Amino acid sequence: MSGAPSLWLVGLNHRIAPVAVRERLAFRGEVLPEALRQLRTAAACHEAAILSTCNRVELYLVADHEESEMRRRILTFLTAFHNLAEHDFAPSLYWMREAEAARHLFEVAASIDSQILGETEILSQTRGAFRAASEAGAAGPMLGAIFQRAFFLSKELRGQGGIGHARASVSFAAVKLAEKIFESLKGRRVLVVGTGEMAGGILRTLKAGGVGDAVVLSRTLERAEAFAAAEGGKAGTLDQLPEYLLWADIVLVSTAAPHYLIRPEMVTPVMAKRRGKPLFFIDISVPRNVDPAVNKLDDTFLYDIDDLESVADEGRRVRQEIAEHWRPRLADEAHTLLLRLKDCNTDQTARRLLEHANELRAAEVAALMKGLNLDEAAARKVAHALERFQGRLLHGPLSVLREAAREGDGIGAAQWISRFFHLHQGHGGGEAPKGAPGEGSQNQA
Amino acid sequence: MSPFTLSVLALVFYAAAAGVALGGLRSERLRKGPWLHLGVVLGVALHSASIGLFCAKSETHFFTSLSESLWLFSWALCAAYLVLLAGWAVRSVGAAILPLASALLALSFLLSSSETGPAPANEAAELPVFAVHILSAFLGYALFLIACAASVFYLQAHRLLKRKSFGALFGGLPSLEKLERAATHCSWMGLALFTIAVGTGATMARQTMQEQWYMEPKIWASWATWAVFFVLVLGRLTGRLAGRATAKVILLGAVLVLVTLLIGHPFREEAPPPKTAQAEVRR
Repeated sequence: MSGAPSLWLVGLNHRIAPVAVRERLAFRGEVLPEALRQLRTAAACHEAAILSTCNRVELYLVADHEESEMRRRILTFLTAFHNLAEHDFAPSLYWMREAEAARHLFEVAASIDSQILGETEILSQTRGAFRAASEAGAAGPMLGAIFQRAFFLSKELRGQGGIGHARASVSFAAVKLAEKIFESLKGRRVLVVGTGEMAGGILRTLKAGGVGDAVVLSRTLERAEAFAAAEGGKAGTLDQLPEYLLWADIVLVSTAAPHYLIRPEMVTPVMAKRRGKPLFFIDISVPRNVDPAVNKLDDTFLYDIDDLESVADEGRRVRQEIAEHWRPRLADEAHTLLLRLKDCNTDQTARRLLEHANELRAAEVAALMKGLNLDEAAARKVAHALERFQGRLLHGPLSVLREAAREGDGIGAAQWISRFFHLHQGHGGGEAPKGAPGEGSQNQA
Repeated sequence: MSPFTLSVLALVFYAAAAGVALGGLRSERLRKGPWLHLGVVLGVALHSASIGLFCAKSETHFFTSLSESLWLFSWALCAAYLVLLAGWAVRSVGAAILPLASALLALSFLLSSSETGPAPANEAAELPVFAVHILSAFLGYALFLIACAASVFYLQAHRLLKRKSFGALFGGLPSLEKLERAATHCSWMGLALFTIAVGTGATMARQTMQEQWYMEPKIWASWATWAVFFVLVLGRLTGRLAGRATAKVILLGAVLVLVTLLIGHPFREEAPPPKTAQAEVRR
C-alpha cells in the first residue's frame, strides 16, 4: 500500500452501460455480505459499500493504493465474482476519487443522477446499501460520514429544493391537474371507461391521492368486473355511461374504440344537471375517445394523453432546473466534507500523540522520583525539563500534521505519525473507530 | 406609542406580507412558509391598536376625512383577508389584496399630511349608528373586493386549465373549487355586513339629509351593489349560479363597489346641506 487512504468510486449506470451489462454486474441482496467480504479482501481496502440497483452498480471504497493498483484489484474482484471477462464491462466503468466520488454519491442519493429525476426509490436503495455495508462490518467512519451526509442532503433537496413536487409522470400529471380543479381529491368519484392497463396505473395514483369510489364501464360486463376486481370499484357496461357521467367527478377513458364515445351532445345535458360541478375528463385512448369539443363546454376540462405528457414534461423540466441549481451545492458539500474528514483525522492523531507522550512522561517521572528521592523543588525542575523535552521532540511531528492537513494530505500524515509512535486506539481515548485510516493500514499490511 | 407610529409599523408588516404573497405565486417555499400569516396577523394587530388608540384620544369626529377613511379601509381589507386565511386558506388572494391595502395605507399617510385642521363636522357622524354604519360598510366592501380578487384568480385558473398552458403562475393558484368557495363565502359575509351598512345608511340619510335623500347617486349605487350580491347569493343557494357565472357576477358587484366608493361619501361636506338647524349653524 502507498499514499493516503482515499475515497474511491467504481461503477456504471444506465447512461453508460446497457442493461445487458448492468444485469451481469449486479449484486443481488442475498449475495451482498459475501460480495463485501470478498471485495475487502481483494481490494485490501479499509471500507467498502456496494450500491446495486436496476440502473446502477457502484462500489464505494476507502483504500490507500495507487490508481493502477486500485484498478487492477477492483477489476480482478469483479471478473472473479461475476465470472466475466474484463473486456465485457471494463470500458463501461467510471472511476472517481475523493470529492468527485462523494459528490457523485450525493447526486445519486438526491436522485439527480437518476433516470427519472426526483424519484424516491433511490434514497431507500442507497440507505439499504449502507445498511448492508454496516452489517457486514465493511463501512467505517469515512463512508459513514459521507453516506449520512448524502441522506441529509437528499432530504433537504426533496423538502426545501422541492424536486419531488414537480410531477414527472403521466399519472402524477393527472393527479396534479385534478388537484387544480377540485379542492380535495378525498371522496371524489372516478368513472373508468375501458379497461386499458394505463388506466389502472392512473386509477391507482388517483386513489393514492385520496379519491373514493370508482366505477368501471366496459363493452362487456366480464371485462369490467375483472378490472374492478383488480383495481377496486363497481363494474358496469358502456350503455350506463350517461348516468355515470352525472355521478362522477373524474372520467378516465381508456378503450380501444376507434371513434368518439363521449361527445358534447352527451355531456351538455349532464352538465346542466350538475349545476356547475366541474367534470374532469382524462382521455388516454389512442385514437381519442372523447370529442375535443367537450373541452369547450362550461366546467368541463378535457386532457388527452399528449396534454398529460406535456404536463409531465414540464415537471421533468422543473426537476432538471432544480437539479442543475443543486449540483454546485452538492459539489461544495462533498469538497468541504472530505476536507473536514481529513482535518478530523489529523486532529485526532495530534491529540492521541500528545496524550501518549504525556502518559509515557508521567510514568517515567514517577519511576525517577521513586529511585532518586528528590526534594520537591528538584522534582519539579526535573518534571519541567522532561516536559520541555517532550514539547521540543513533538514539535516536528505536530508541525508536519498541521502542514499536511493544510495541503490536503492529512490522512496520510496521520497514518505515518501513528505508525512511528505506535499510536493505537487505547492511547488517549481517540475516537478513531475500526477501519479508520492508519489503523486499517496496519491491519491490512 | 402614537397611532401614527403603530400604523407605520403595520404598513411595514403589510408590505412584507404582500411581498411574500406575490413571491408565493411562484415559490412553493414562500407559499408554504408561515411568513404570510405572521405578517398579516402582526399588521392587523398593530393597525387595530392604532385605530383603537386614535378613537380613544380623538375629540373630533373621525373617519369623515378621506385619509381616515383610507386608513380604516386598508385595515378592513387586511382584517377581512385574515378571516379568509383562517377559514379558507386561500393565500394567493393576498397577492392582490395585500399590495392594495399597503398602497391605501401609504396613501392615507400622504393625504393626512396634506389635510389641515380637524375633519369637517357633519350631523351624521354624531348619530349613534354612524360607527356601525362605517364599520359594516368598510368590512362589507373589503369582503366584496376580496371576493372579486378570488374571482379574478378563478377566471385566470379556469382559462389556464382550458387552454392547457401552465406558466409559473399556475403552480401558485389554488384549485378552482377552493377559489369559488372563498369568493362565494366572502360575498355572503360581505352581503350580511353590507345589509347592515345600507340599513343604517338609509336611516342616517333620512335623519340628516333633505326629503329627496334617496335620489343621491351614492345611495343608488349602494343599493345596486347590494342587489347584485343578493342575486348572487340567491343564485348560489338555488344552484342557478356556479363556476364562471358566479365569478362574473362578483366582478360586476366589485365594479359597483368601486363606483360607490368613487361617487363619494354623502355625509361629507360635498353632500347637500343637512336639514336640521343645528347642522346649519355648525356649517
